[in-house]
Formats: sequence, C-alpha cells, structure tokens
Amino acid sequence: MVRVSFLLKAPTGAYTNVFTIDNYARVLGDSFQWRILQNTIWYSLITTVIALVLGFPLAYAIAHASRRVRPLLLMLLISPLLVGVVVRSYGWMIILGTVGLVNQLLKGIGLPSAQLMDNPMAVIIGLVHVLLPFMSLSIAGALQNIPPEVERAARSLGASPSSVFWRVTWPLSLPGVFSGTLLVFVLAVSSYVLPILLGGNHVLVMPILIVLTLLDAFNWPLGSAQAMVFFGLTAVLLWIYVKLMNRAMRWSHR
Amino acid sequence: MIERRRALVFGVVVVLIYMFLLAPIVIVVLAAFNSGEYLRFPPEGFSLRWFGKFSQSGPFVRAFLFSSKLAVTTMALSTLLGGTAAFYVVRHSGRFRDPLRILLVSPLQLPTILTGIALLIFFYGVGIGTRGMGALLVGHTLVSVPYVFLTVSTVLVGFDRSLEEAARSLGASPAMTLRRVTLPLIKGGLVSGALFALITSFDQFPISLLLSSVGNTTLPILLFDYLRFSFDPMAAAVSTVSILLSSVVVFIVHRSIGLESMMWGGPR
Repeated sequence: MVRVSFLLKAPTGAYTNVFTIDNYARVLGDSFQWRILQNTIWYSLITTVIALVLGFPLAYAIAHASRRVRPLLLMLLISPLLVGVVVRSYGWMIILGTVGLVNQLLKGIGLPSAQLMDNPMAVIIGLVHVLLPFMSLSIAGALQNIPPEVERAARSLGASPSSVFWRVTWPLSLPGVFSGTLLVFVLAVSSYVLPILLGGNHVLVMPILIVLTLLDAFNWPLGSAQAMVFFGLTAVLLWIYVKLMNRAMRWSHR
Repeated sequence: MIERRRALVFGVVVVLIYMFLLAPIVIVVLAAFNSGEYLRFPPEGFSLRWFGKFSQSGPFVRAFLFSSKLAVTTMALSTLLGGTAAFYVVRHSGRFRDPLRILLVSPLQLPTILTGIALLIFFYGVGIGTRGMGALLVGHTLVSVPYVFLTVSTVLVGFDRSLEEAARSLGASPAMTLRRVTLPLIKGGLVSGALFALITSFDQFPISLLLSSVGNTTLPILLFDYLRFSFDPMAAAVSTVSILLSSVVVFIVHRSIGLESMMWGGPR
C-alpha cells in the first residue's frame, strides 16, 4: 500500500510503475481534504469525550457490583458489541428518522418535527453508542485492580466521598481511561458505516472519502496516499497524546 | 441518608446509560415484529410478514447463505490457526514467541478499513484479484484469529499439565492424550473463540466492502446498500436474525468460560 501511494495512476487500470509524489501533493495541497480531515478528527474527539463521561459510571458500577450482578451487567455491555454496526445504525435510523420515534413523540405533544438525522450530531450519537462498551471495559479492567481496602482506608481517615473519588479512585483508574480513550478515538476515526447511514450525504469523513477514491473513482494511488496521510497524522496525534498521558500519570503518582 | 441518595442517583444514571446502549437493538426487534410500515408506539400489532418478505427476497436469501457459508469456513480456519498458535505461544519459549503473539493480535489494533485496503491492493498485486470467496475468507480469517488465540490462551494458561503427563505415563499415545485429555479440558476456550470468530465474520463490514465482488455479497453489505435507499421493516427482520445469533453466542460463551475471564484474564 505504501508503494502504490507513490505510483502514478494509469489511465486504464489500477496503477503504473512510475514513481511520483504527485498523489501526496494532491492530498496535502487540497483545502477540501484538509477540512474533511479536521472534521473527522473533531467528531472523533467529541465522541471520545462523551464516551468517557458515560463510560466511567458504567465501569464503576460493574467493578463495584456484587458477584451475582456483575455477570449480568457485563453481558448487557458486551452483547451490543456483538451486534453488527449496520444493525445498530439501523436502530438509530428508526429512532431519529423523519418519521422516527422521536419525531412521532414531538408530533404527539404538538411540536414541529425536527431534522435529527443527516447531521454530525446523529453521527456522534451513533459513534458514542457503538464505542461506549470499549471505553467501559477498559476502565472497568483498571478499576477492578484497585483493592477495595484502599478506598475504605481513605474513607475511614475522614475523606469525603468526592475527595476519595478524585484523589484515590480517579488517579488509580488512569491506565484504563488512557487505553479506553485511545481505543475509542482510533475506532471513531476509522469508522465508515455510521457516518454514511446516519450522516446521509451531509457528513463526509476521511474513511468515506478514501473508499470513494478507491472503489468509485478507482484511483488506488490517490486513495492509498489519502489513507497514509490520514492514518499517519492520526498516529502522530496519538503519539503526542501518549507522551502527555505518561507525564500526567507520573505526576499523579508522585 | 446522603449516602443512600447518592447511591440511588448513581443507580438511575447507570440504568439510563444502559437504556441508551440497548434501546436501538430492542427497537429493531420490535420493528421486525410490527405489522405496520413504520414503527409506532404503541405498536400496531404483531406480525411475521417482514420475516416472510425476507425469506422471499432472492438477493437477501443468497446473501444470507453466502454469509453463513463464509462465517462457518472462517470459523473452522481461524479456530485451527488460532488454537495452534495459542498452544505454541503458551507452551514454548522459542525465539518466535513474542513476535508471533504481537503479530497475531495486531489486526485488533489496526483499523479494519486499513487492513481491507492493504488486502485489496495485495490481492490485485499478486494477481489473484477478489473473485470468489478466497479473498474474503483470508480477510475474515485474519481479523477472527485474534479472538480464538485470546480465548484458547486464556484456558491454556490455567491448564494443569500434570494431567497430560499422567495420561502419557499411563501409556496413552500423544494423539490419544490430545484427544481424550487436552481437548476436552480446553473445550470451553475453543468453543468461545470459534463462536467469536463466527460472529466477527458474520458481522464483518469494512473488509467485506472492499473485498467482495459481484455475486459474492455478504449480508451486512446488502443490508447496508438496502438501507441507503429504502427504509422498510424487512431490514429489521434481517437484523433480528443477526441479533439472535449474537445473543446465542454471548450466552454460550458466558456459560462455557465466563465473560469476565475472556475480557481480562487473557495472557499479558
């Protein structure tokens, strides 16, 4: 793939053996592609933050549940994970569509119906829904490694529940938060089905553009270059994030 | 008093998040059994007509059969490969142990769409192309092997090897020991891994999108194309079949090795 991204597109077939950096120039010099790139990363960031806010309570509930309840909570968390993305997007289409459940409800109480689908918000709702289990599972893994005595000790020494959380539980759960956010961001950035089904033709993200270039325009070199630039940039962002997180963790363990 | 109110609020929040998580799936199932064109609340009535439409639709039935065939073959292949690899990694301390482990789990970390693009270019590059089931099978197996590898490793790590030694010292041949002692004991891990592979393949989207060719359309791809242009509850019936399959898998995995050990007990 790396090699093809440097090759010249053949007028008839897939690619020729002529070396060129033209494809990269086209990707990097095009403001349209930059805007899509920015949008993709921006949506994924929002998704990650929301997934963290919603995923943490779930993880906490699972880690602190009794032996009897925990398998049930886990099962309910994992089963959505095994249902295909297409099916889950379809569920949201029924809820958010023009004649969907939310709009029927709005009509029922006498409000005008709203355009809920085909916009970035719908895509972000869908992404959070699909990726939430990954976040909760990583955090729950970290929370389970905290011995309950630690929190109890802090409580008995007079710390308030909120200060136990912020000074004991949260710092100790950071490794889980770290891997969870990383995983969710990577999956959000590379998602394809959800932005198409819930975003209609109004939300264009990088994976859609790449597939369009590859399959519809049949331009493999350009598509490969797009993919390389996109995932390369994502990797750089993640690398910066890893560095920052490592520093934060060292700081909180002092 | 304040403690209890806090716990109550927390409980309500958790229940709400779970509702968010499960609502779309429940709604798809409701829509499938609903008799009207659109799902309304309260539902208009119970009917199986959308399942009937599904079973009479040629393309959907063909895609369903194709997906099933592909998923079963993927399951067999990745169970064989993943299981063997798990044995090697857990039991031997060779030079290839760590590289192999990283290599096997790497498809889980890479965006599947990237794996798909790479495979597409690879298959054309070596001149095989994407005709037939071959390319799809390789792609699906690649992303399913990690699951088998992880589940089988989980049970192998906790395996008591003295049982095998006992069987051997009592005169059983290596093949017999494997068949009568080892395999029955790791059955849970194997079955779970195989089922995960089955479901990963059945629901696989990005790789199928890039590697499927005319006449070889998988069910998720067909459903996706269908949903882009139309919106009728037959899609819900199709979806319900796949939701049912996933639920059965989760249940069996939970019964055989426990979801908890599967998620966090893997080899580190």
